[in-house]
Formats: sequence, C-alpha cells, structure tokens
Amino acid sequence: MDARFSGGRSGTAPLTWGQRAIWDTVRRTVPDDRYFNFGRILPVPGRARPLTPERAAAALGALVERHESLRTTLGAAEPYRDGEHAGPHRSEGREPRRILDHAEPYQVLAGAGTIPVTVATGDPETLLGELTATAYDYAAEWPLRAGLVVGGGEVTHVVLAFCHLAADGLGAEVAVRDLRLLLMRGSVPGPPPPQPLDLARWQESGAGRRVAGVAAEHWENEYRRIPPTMFDRPSRQAASPPVWRAKIVSRALDLAVQRIAAVHATSTSTVLLAASSALVSAATGHEVCAMLPIVGNRFRGDTVNAVTTLSQEGLFVLDADRADLAGLLRAARPAALRAYRSAYHDPRDRDRLEAEASRERGTRVHPYCCFNDMRFTDRADASHDEATVRRAMDGTTLTWPLSQDRLNCRFCLHLTAEPGGLGVSVTADTRFLSRPSMERYLLDLESTLVAAAFREVPELVG
Amino acid sequence: MLRERLAAMVAAASDGTVTAAEALAATVPLSALGVTSLAQMRLIDAVESEFGIEFDLSRDGVGVLEDLGALERYVAGAA
Repeated sequence: MDARFSGGRSGTAPLTWGQRAIWDTVRRTVPDDRYFNFGRILPVPGRARPLTPERAAAALGALVERHESLRTTLGAAEPYRDGEHAGPHRSEGREPRRILDHAEPYQVLAGAGTIPVTVATGDPETLLGELTATAYDYAAEWPLRAGLVVGGGEVTHVVLAFCHLAADGLGAEVAVRDLRLLLMRGSVPGPPPPQPLDLARWQESGAGRRVAGVAAEHWENEYRRIPPTMFDRPSRQAASPPVWRAKIVSRALDLAVQRIAAVHATSTSTVLLAASSALVSAATGHEVCAMLPIVGNRFRGDTVNAVTTLSQEGLFVLDADRADLAGLLRAARPAALRAYRSAYHDPRDRDRLEAEASRERGTRVHPYCCFNDMRFTDRADASHDEATVRRAMDGTTLTWPLSQDRLNCRFCLHLTAEPGGLGVSVTADTRFLSRPSMERYLLDLESTLVAAAFREVPELVG
Repeated sequence: MLRERLAAMVAAASDGTVTAAEALAATVPLSALGVTSLAQMRLIDAVESEFGIEFDLSRDGVGVLEDLGALERYVAGAA
C-alpha cells in the first residue's frame, strides 16, 4: 500500500550544515552506510483504535506533508526549479547510488508523491529490522520507509525507518510525536515546524555566516593547542578484529551521577562529559583532553521542532589538572557551553581549519575521541543514599556486544538509558586502547563517580 | 525594564522551570534554581539575537549567565 502526499511546495537548496556533516560521514562509511539507518516503533494509541491501514496511511501522508525532510532526496546538481520536481530521481538504466560520487549534492524537495508502506503481521521489531536492513539510495528513494503491523483486524503498530539525512534521534522523536497526534486528532496544533530548505538558506545568509564564524573561531583556537590526537600510543595488544565495544549497564552509576548533578547544580550529561574527559586524560597521559560531543543543536527557535539532522560534533576541551570533582565541574561548565556553541558550525569551515592546523603543526590534528549522550531525559536527584548506591554496584553488568574491522574514530563513548540503569559503552580501536584497558576505563568511571558522589561536601552557592 | 525582559527570557529558556519572578528574586546562581546548560544555550541565543551582542564564554564570561544583575549590566554595556 502507499501513503500519498500532495499540496506542498517543492524546491532545491544546498545542504544544511547538519545534512552536510552526516553526508560526509555516510560517504566515508560506504558500503557499510546502512549502519546509520535507524527507526522508531509507535504503538497505536488507544484513542486512535481501531485503526485501519487506510487511515494509518493517510496519517503517514499528512506527516510527510508536514515535515519536508521526509520528502527530500539528494540531487547531483540543481536540476529542478521550484515546482518542477515530482519525486525521487529514479535511477533506471543508470548505476544505482551514483549520488555517492558527489561531495556537495543538493537537497531536492518534492511537493507530491507516494511512499510505499509495508504491511506485515508479527513482531514490530522484526519489521523495523527489515526496513533498516539495506542502505538508502539517497537520490532514488524517499528517506522514510514506513510499515504497519496488523493484528486482529486493526493496525497495532506503525514502524518508521529513517535515512539519517532526513532526521537524527531528536528529529525522529518529533516525527513520532506528530504522527501520534495525527492518528488521534487528525492534525498537529501550533505553527508549522522549521524546514531544512529554509534552514539551508538562512545558513548561507549573512546572519548564518556570523554564527558559523563564532563557531569556527573556537575550532581554530583550540586546534592550535590540543593534543593532535588523544589515543596516540600503540596498545601493543591489538585484538582481532581490531574494533570492539565494551558496555556496562550500571544502576549505581545512574544514581551517583544524578546525585552529583543535583549537588553541583548541573546536568548529568555535563558530569559524565567532564568525568569521561578526565579519565581519558588519565588513560592517555595528555593533560589537555579534547573530546567531540555530539550536540543536538536544538537551542534555537528556528531549530527546536525540526525533523531534520541537526546533530553535529562540538569541540570540548578540558584541562585535566583538577584536584577534585568540584573544580573539574567548575571548569567543565563553560567548556561545555563553548563546545555546544561550536557544534552549530559549517563542516566546510571545520575541514579547512583542520587542514590548516594539521599543516602548521606538521601532523594530522583530529581528536578521534567522541561522546554521544543518546538519552532523552536528564534527571538530577540528591536523595540517593550511599548504602543503596554501593549495593547497586553488585548488579553492574559488562558485555562485549560488537566487534568489527573498521571505525572512523579511536574512542567513542555512548550513553544510553537502559532498563537496568545507565548504559555506558566504549567502542575503541584496540590498536590504541586494549580490551583490558577499555574494561578498566568503564569500571573506573563507575567507581570514581560513585566515590565522588558521597565524598565531596557540596559547595556553598551564592 | 531590561531586567524584567531578561527575567522573562530566563523563564522562556528554562521552559518555566524558573519563573520570571523567581529569576528576579534570586539570591543564588540561576543554575541552582534549575537553569540547565540547555536552558543557558537557549538564553545565550535569545539574548544574542535580541540585543545583537555576542557572549564571551570564557570561565569568567559565563558567570553573567548565573546572575540576573550581572546579565543586565553585561547586556547594557555591550548593546
């Protein structure tokens, strides 16, 4: 079955900064770029039941009408003028995915079209797995793959698989929230959301270039002083394959970080960013730690409810010579704000500055050390008591969920909310950080923060 | 007037976690009342856009985000 959309505007524009950043990453990852596919499963809300496949498809069509990124594909050049483009650039008779040859494609917005909807029975996770299994043809395929799970004569789940050019995790949350409203009420209240076409045009304007300039200045200054790369010493314990992920799930760490955040009037994200950086310094011997947090970039009125890819890396730089956690957090707060502002940048500026710094310093400058807080909530709570938190450490699990040949980084730290507590994983290149060192890093993070949560007297504020 | 306007911007940036009245009456840093780093980023963007200034995010510079009086003096001096 199909979801139809019509009546919207069409047009072309250069890529936004966020689209450009993910496009560069996709091109570096080909042919394994399906790695970036992701999705969401929406159980049909009670108020929308019983839901027929036809009504579900109509709601999907309305969702695609509302969020232009879901009907935007890539084009090699600017072949269409407004109003002339009617759908993805079919590749019949041509080699598929030739768009990958283009470093600077255009975004091409269609005003009308039909999106295929897969109808299935059974487990929604299975359907999501199928919808995300293959890489997208970025020019020839809509960036949303949709599915319906039916059972007992009605639709029970709507499954959305996103091309990462169309949305990031926060953008997908907006899409799911809006789809839920469309299913229940038939419409989404409030003003129309910001659209990537307009964002791209603003980013090219004088105002956009000024914002880019502020961010670029931070990258330029810090690239002159940070260690060229963080994990620069061979571990001499390379594993096979070389890239591994270690992951802990820790209730104790979750509670400890909540307490620290409350006591120090900051967020758990800042606490974890600061502590992770300090431990990278300890593990590598570099007094200055440079880390690249993935930042949502939804601070501005023109980005907050946008379904598009806005997340980009910022540059977080922390001098690690802090004797205590309070001192570390005092330094981390402004450093985090600078990092967040630097994340809203034009990737072309960053590439240029990276090349210049590498030339000046005679070695490649890139931290290859990133931080991704993928949680959607951030809770601070000082009430957790020490005995409870220490007891919870007995329940901490450590697993090795992934190994692979290649990684375009050396150290990637991910935070996730898990049923059993805070999930912290390190995906590392074992040629620079051995498997035993990865394990030690994660357990040190837990023990350090659990100890700090109850050792330090809160600072007097005011 | 500027002080009240800034207090309203603090309230908007924090999604009402800190009300304008609370910001005006604060005797502790705004972060202690619940202005998170996300809210600070929104506040920075809103103030920069409205007053055409650019914040200094050095360690000393970010102090103005913690205190409405300091923020008022900073904006009045920079605008």
